[in-house]
Amino acid sequence: MLRGVSTTLFISILSFLLGLATGLPLAFIRAYGSKPFQILVDVYEKVFRGIPELVMMLLFFFGVGFVLRYPFKNAFFTVIFVLGLRSAANQSQIFRGAIRGIGEEQMVAASSLGLSKVQSIIHVMIPQVFIFSTPGLGSEYALLVKDSSYAFIIGVLEIMEMTDRIRKATGDTLTPFLLGAFLYVLITFPIATWLDIWGSRKKKQLGL
Amino acid sequence: MGKQKKEAVGTVGRKMTDTVMECRNLWKNYGKITAVKDVSLKIKEGEIKLIFGPSGSGKSTLIRCLAMLTTPTKGDVFLREECLTRPDVDLNKARARIGFVFQHIWLFRHLTALGNVELGLRRVLKLPKKEARKRAMQALREVKMEEWAHHYPAQLSGGQQQRVGIARALVRNPDIILLDEPTSALDPELIGEVIDTLRDLAKKGTTMLIVSHEMPFAREVANEMIFFDKGTIVETGPPELFFTNPRSERAKKFMARLIKRTKRE
Repeated sequence: MLRGVSTTLFISILSFLLGLATGLPLAFIRAYGSKPFQILVDVYEKVFRGIPELVMMLLFFFGVGFVLRYPFKNAFFTVIFVLGLRSAANQSQIFRGAIRGIGEEQMVAASSLGLSKVQSIIHVMIPQVFIFSTPGLGSEYALLVKDSSYAFIIGVLEIMEMTDRIRKATGDTLTPFLLGAFLYVLITFPIATWLDIWGSRKKKQLGL
Repeated sequence: MGKQKKEAVGTVGRKMTDTVMECRNLWKNYGKITAVKDVSLKIKEGEIKLIFGPSGSGKSTLIRCLAMLTTPTKGDVFLREECLTRPDVDLNKARARIGFVFQHIWLFRHLTALGNVELGLRRVLKLPKKEARKRAMQALREVKMEEWAHHYPAQLSGGQQQRVGIARALVRNPDIILLDEPTSALDPELIGEVIDTLRDLAKKGTTMLIVSHEMPFAREVANEMIFFDKGTIVETGPPELFFTNPRSERAKKFMARLIKRTKRE
């Protein structure tokens, strides 16, 4: 059971980080990039938010995995890849809202010091974007934890798969699922809540 | 103009006759609206010039064009003979030599007062942490904000925030400081402390171009006042001229209104 929990956590956190690493630049390209790049980001967001993760997982694991065996034949990789890129689309929207909320002034003030656009984004915008985005990031993390359960479809041994195996072994159709549900809440709730509290405390302190 | 590069090396060896900043035939259009219309002006070493005029007359646009925070539509801006409006100029480098103080202050809200003042030193001038801290503290001392160094902007009053804004602009020893209505967004009782800070800078011989309507302050420190209306310079002259007998009708009317307001306060 413990292995299932750690795998679920592992999938959720890695795909969250992949989503962050991809979503953050996307949000800034969408906000400050040239028009064609903005459209590209829009299209990316629409596509990845529009396709159900189950369809995407099967598509990459069986479809793309059939053509390109490496690396999509690895179920674990495929799960993180799919959830991460979907999360990037969501996080890009969350961050874009934050960028808009912070406003152009902070960028102007930064450039008045002689900071380049990239430096302004790194030193002035990103720290504030994170604080601004906390409630959204918390629910995005929760969403990833829940969606990681789709991984059982392609045979990754996470909470859902574990639960199902116990069900098969014991014949008990209630307790294993209750336990699984409880475990999901357990790993979602503390982190999402902590993010929320940290964010609102920071916002209050900084007057954002 | 050749491609000679002039690096800023402090005020040593500069003559009072050196032109620090200049613009020639500057225009700025927003679509069909002309915000700045054919403006030329010159600020010399140690000079303080003050721009005033009705709101919406394009003062802010002009001063932002001078700092190259907005790209002029036509015309040239020079910083110590270096043309900033040429396409091959490293604008970030040029901006690092110009201090800018904003009407709405615009401190970085996630950084403390010290962090705000330090940022440019660390990231643009690439000073080591220790030296940046020392210089930032020195600048905060100059605006009497040393004891507030570790407070965030949200924890400071508007006047204190603007003093930090001034420290952030002056800490790099810029060639010139441009101030865009530094006191007009402040509560009346907070204006005094900011004016005091500016007065200190004036005494030290800081070259400044200030957009402001603080008339007693203008009379005291400005070498020249520039009356600006409808995107262009209407009249220039020493403060005394404007306080006693402005030549243009528009300036006369505007001064009368301002003086009336100041008396009421």
